[in-house]
Amino acid sequence: MRRLRWLIVPLVLVPVAWLFLQGIGQDPRALGSQLVGRQMPSFTLRTIDGRTVSSESLRGRPVVLNFWASWCIPACVDEHPVLIDAARRVGGRAQFVGVLYQDRVDDALGFLQRYGETPYPHLIDQASRLAIDFGVTGPPETYFIDATGVVRAKQFGPLTADAMRAKLATIGVTDR
Amino acid sequence: MRRLAVPIAAGALLALIALMVLAFMRPAPAPTRAEQAAAIAADLKCPDCQSLSVAQSTTEASAAIRRQIGELLAAGRSPSEVRRYFVDRYGEWILLSPTSPLAWIVPFVAIVAGALLLATWLSVARRRTRTAAPAATRAAADGPASVISEAAKRRVRDEAEALDA
Amino acid sequence: MLPTLGHVAVVIGLGASLYAFVAFVIGARRSDPRLVESARRAVYATCALAAVASTAMVVSLLTHDFSVSYVARNNATTTPPFYSIISLWAALEGSILFWTLLATGYASLVLWRYRARHPVLMAWVGATLAAIGVFLFAVMTWPGNPFARMTPIPAEGNGPNALLQNHPFMGLHPPLLYLGYTGLAIPFAFGIAALVTRRTDEAWLGIVRRWTMVPWIFLTLGIIAGGWWSYEVLGWGGYWGWDPVENAALLPWLTATAFIHSSMVAERRGSLRIWSSVLVIATFVLTILGTFLTRSGVVASVHSFTASAIGPWFLGAILVALGVSLALLVWRLPDLAGGGRPAELVSRDSAFLFNNVLFLGLTFAVLFGTLLPLGIEAFGGGKISVGAPWFNRVNAPIFVALLFLMGVGPALPWGRASWATLRERFAIPLLVAVAALAVAFGLGMRMPAPLATLGLAVFVGGILLDELVSGARARARARSEAPPVAAWRLATRNRRRYGGYAVHCGVLVMAVAVAVSATLSSETTTTLRPGQSVDLRGYRLTYDRLAVGPLRDDPRVLETRAELRYTGTQQGSLATASRQYPNSVTPIATPAVRTSLGEDLYVTLLAADPASGSVTLHVLVNPLVVWIWIGGAVVALGAIFAIWPDRRLLPMAAPAGADRPRPAPRPGTATHPASLPAGPEPALDAAVGEAPPSGGARVDA
Repeated sequence: MRRLRWLIVPLVLVPVAWLFLQGIGQDPRALGSQLVGRQMPSFTLRTIDGRTVSSESLRGRPVVLNFWASWCIPACVDEHPVLIDAARRVGGRAQFVGVLYQDRVDDALGFLQRYGETPYPHLIDQASRLAIDFGVTGPPETYFIDATGVVRAKQFGPLTADAMRAKLATIGVTDR
Repeated sequence: MRRLAVPIAAGALLALIALMVLAFMRPAPAPTRAEQAAAIAADLKCPDCQSLSVAQSTTEASAAIRRQIGELLAAGRSPSEVRRYFVDRYGEWILLSPTSPLAWIVPFVAIVAGALLLATWLSVARRRTRTAAPAATRAAADGPASVISEAAKRRVRDEAEALDA
Repeated sequence: MLPTLGHVAVVIGLGASLYAFVAFVIGARRSDPRLVESARRAVYATCALAAVASTAMVVSLLTHDFSVSYVARNNATTTPPFYSIISLWAALEGSILFWTLLATGYASLVLWRYRARHPVLMAWVGATLAAIGVFLFAVMTWPGNPFARMTPIPAEGNGPNALLQNHPFMGLHPPLLYLGYTGLAIPFAFGIAALVTRRTDEAWLGIVRRWTMVPWIFLTLGIIAGGWWSYEVLGWGGYWGWDPVENAALLPWLTATAFIHSSMVAERRGSLRIWSSVLVIATFVLTILGTFLTRSGVVASVHSFTASAIGPWFLGAILVALGVSLALLVWRLPDLAGGGRPAELVSRDSAFLFNNVLFLGLTFAVLFGTLLPLGIEAFGGGKISVGAPWFNRVNAPIFVALLFLMGVGPALPWGRASWATLRERFAIPLLVAVAALAVAFGLGMRMPAPLATLGLAVFVGGILLDELVSGARARARARSEAPPVAAWRLATRNRRRYGGYAVHCGVLVMAVAVAVSATLSSETTTTLRPGQSVDLRGYRLTYDRLAVGPLRDDPRVLETRAELRYTGTQQGSLATASRQYPNSVTPIATPAVRTSLGEDLYVTLLAADPASGSVTLHVLVNPLVVWIWIGGAVVALGAIFAIWPDRRLLPMAAPAGADRPRPAPRPGTATHPASLPAGPEPALDAAVGEAPPSGGARVDA
C-alpha cells in the first residue's frame, strides 16, 4: 500500500509528457481542410488580366489552386519558384490557378514582375468570398482538386518541391 | 435595528428578485438582424489573428466574414444555419466555444467535487475530534508547542476583537 | 568583443551555478558551513555574471552591433535608445537573459538575507535556486544563445517587433511580469527545502508567505499593466482576451493567491502544511508551464515566439520540477499530514478553505480551457478553439462565488460562527446591497451579470467597511482617540488584516468595472469623409483631415493619422493613427483613447484612403474602464501595506533596506513575537521573517 503511493509520480508525469510531446514540433495554426473529399465550391471570378475563370471551366482537369498575396513575405516568395517550376513541367496535365488573398492588383503585378511571371492566371477574389468558401486562414494555402472537381489535398504554408510532388500525386498528376 | 434588518433585507431581496424574474420573463423583443449578426460574429474566431473574435478583429478577413454573415442572414438563413455555414468551411476551429457539453461541465464537476471533498473532510475531522476529545492536546504535542499556544492566543485575541466590535 | 564577453559570462555562469548546486547539496548533507558559504558566493557570482551579460546585450543593442544575431533581428539603426534598451526583453533569447538576471538577483537577495539563519534549510533553498540557475544558463549556452553571431554582418537590422515598439508600456509590463514570475521560484525553493529537511513550521510559513507576497504584487501589477497595454495598443477596445499568454500569467497568480489565503489558516491552525507546499510547488510549475506554452509553439498564442529548440528544454524543466516535487511529497507525506484542529463548517477557517477550492477550480478551468485544444488534437479529435466566450461563461460564476466568499469570509469569526454573529455582521451590508440593486434596476440596468456583481460588490464592500468602522469606533471609545486616528492605528497595528481588506476593496472596484465595461459598452464602425461626423452614446465625432508622414523619433515608420474633434461628456480633439513599420507587413493601429472617470472614448483607424481622404473608424464608448486600473493600484497598495515591515513590533530588526550585518539571534534566545507587547494581531509574518521561533530552530541547531 505504501509502495503504491509512488505510482502517483509516473501517473502524473507520463500523461503530461505525452500531451506536450504531441504538441511540440507542430504548427498550432496549421488547419486541415473541411473540403478534402468534397466538391470544390463553385465560383466565377475575373483574372488580373481581365479574363473570366469559373469552376465549371476548370472541370475535367486536375486543378492546383494557390491562395497568395504580395504582402505575404517571405512564405509566398519562398514557394513562388516551386509553383512556377511545377506549372512549367506538369502544366499540360494540371491547371494551375492563383488567387489573390486580400491584395491589390497593382501590388500583385509588382510581385510577379519582381519574383517571376507565372504561366497561369490569377483570380481577383471579390470580398474574399472564395477564401471563405475554402476556409483559408492565411496565405499561402494551396488546394489540390482532381479532375472530377473533388478536393483531394491541402497545403498549409509554403510549398516545397517535395510537398508539391506528393500532393500532385493525390490528384493523379505524377511529376517525372 | 440590526435585528430587524435581516428580515427587511431578506424580504426586499426576495421582492427584488421576483421583480427581476418578471422583467426577464417578459418576452424580449426579437433580436434585430444586426444584433443577430453581432452575436454570431462574437462567437466566430478571427481566422488570421489570435484569440480575437470576428466581431473584435479589424482584419480584412474578419470584415469579409462579417459581411458574409450579414448577407446570409439577409438571405433568410437562421443564425444556427449561418454558424453551420462557417463550420462547414473552416471546421469546429472557427467556433470560439467548444460544442462538446463535456467542455462546459468538467470545470464545474471538478469544483463541486473539490467542495464536497472538503466538506466531507471537515465533518469527518470534526467527528473524530468529538469522539477523541484530547485530540487537540495530541496535536499540540505533535507540533512545536509555540505554534499552538500562539494560535490559541491569537484566537482569543480575535474573539475579543469580535466582541469588541 | 562585448558580445564575446557576454557569452563568456553566460558560460562561466553555467559553471558557477553548477558548482553552487553541488556545493550546496554536499554542504547540506555533510553540515559543512564553509562549503555552503562558498556555494552562496557562487550564487552571488552568477548574479554578477548575468548582470555582465545583460549589460553586454544592452550595449550591443544601443550601439546597433548587428554581428549579434539577436540585435540584427530586434534592432535597427533608427531604433530610439529607449526601445533599444527594452529590446532586451522583446524576443526570446534576450528575455531569457533578463529572466536569468532577475532570478539570480532574487536568489542572491534571499540567500544573503537569511545567510545567518536556518543553515540546513537555507542550504537546500540555495541548492534549488542554483538548480534553476543551471537550467537558465544552460538554455542560454545551448539552444537559446543570446550572443549567437551572424555572418555576414548585415548593414541594417530588422528592427524591434512593431507591436512592441509602439508604446512605452513595453518598458513596464514585461519587467513587472518577470519580477513576478522569477520571484515565485523563492517560495518553491523553500517548499522543496522544507520537504527535504522536514521543516514546515511557522517560521518557514512566515518566510514563504512574505516571499510569495513580493512576487505576487509584481505579478498582479504585471498582469494589470499587460491588460492596460493591450487596451492602449492593440486597438480592439478590450484588455483581456484569454489568450494562452495571458492565461500563463493568470495561472500562477491564482495558485499564489490561494496559497496566501491558505497560509493564514495554516499558520493559525498549524494544519494544511502539505497543502501549503503543494500550492507553492504548483505555482512554480505553472510559471514554467506558461513559459513553455508560449515559447514552444505548442499552443497558438498572440505572442508565440517563433517555435524554437527551447521548447523541449522547458518541457524537460517542467517534468523535472514536477517529478522531483511529487517524489518529495510522496516521500514526506507521513510527516506532513495531519496536525491542527479541524474547523467548523461555517467559520472563517472553512471560508478560507472553500476559497482555496474556488481558486483551484478557477486554475483548473483556465488550464483546462487552455490545454483542451491540445488534448483534443492529441486524441485525434481535430482542431478546436477555446476562446473568450467559453472562458467568460465558465469563469464568471466562479468569480462571482469568490466575490461572495470574499465578503463572507472575513466577517466570520475564526473557529465557529453563531447565527447571532452572522446576523450582526451581515444585516446592514445586506440591506445596503439590496438598496443598491434596487436603484441600479430602477435606473434601467437589466443585464444579470453586472447586476449580480454590483449587488455582491456593495454587500462585500459594506461588510469590509463595517469591520473597519466598528473596529475603529471601539478603539476610539476605549482609548479616546479621534476616529480617523483610531482607524489608522487599528489598521497599522493589524496590517495584514486591513491590508487584505484594502486588496479586497480594489478587487471589488475591478470586478464592477470589468462587469460593466464588458457588458455595457457601445461601438460602431463607420466610414467618414473630411467634415463628416458620427454620433455614439452622447458623443459626436467630427473628422477633420488625414495626415500622412514619417514618425518623428523613427523616420522609417510611416504614420497615417486621422484628426478628429469630439464633443459630448468629454470634449477636445484626438488623432488616431496606423503606423507602417518597415518590418511588419500589416500596419499597426495606434488607437486614441480619451479617458474619464465615467467612460473611455476609444477610436481606432481601420482603413484610410489617401486619395479621397476618407477613413474607416471603429469607435467605442467603454464605461468605467479606468476603474480597472485604479482598482489594480488599490490592490497593489493594499498588498504593500499588508507586508510593510512594522518596526514597532521588531525591536531586533534593522529598518528594511538598511540591513547591516549583525550577530544572528541564537536559537532559543530568539525573540518570539508572542513575547512582544503587540497590538490585536502582531505583524507576525514580518516578525517571523526576522527571527526563528524556538520551535523552528530544532532542526537546524
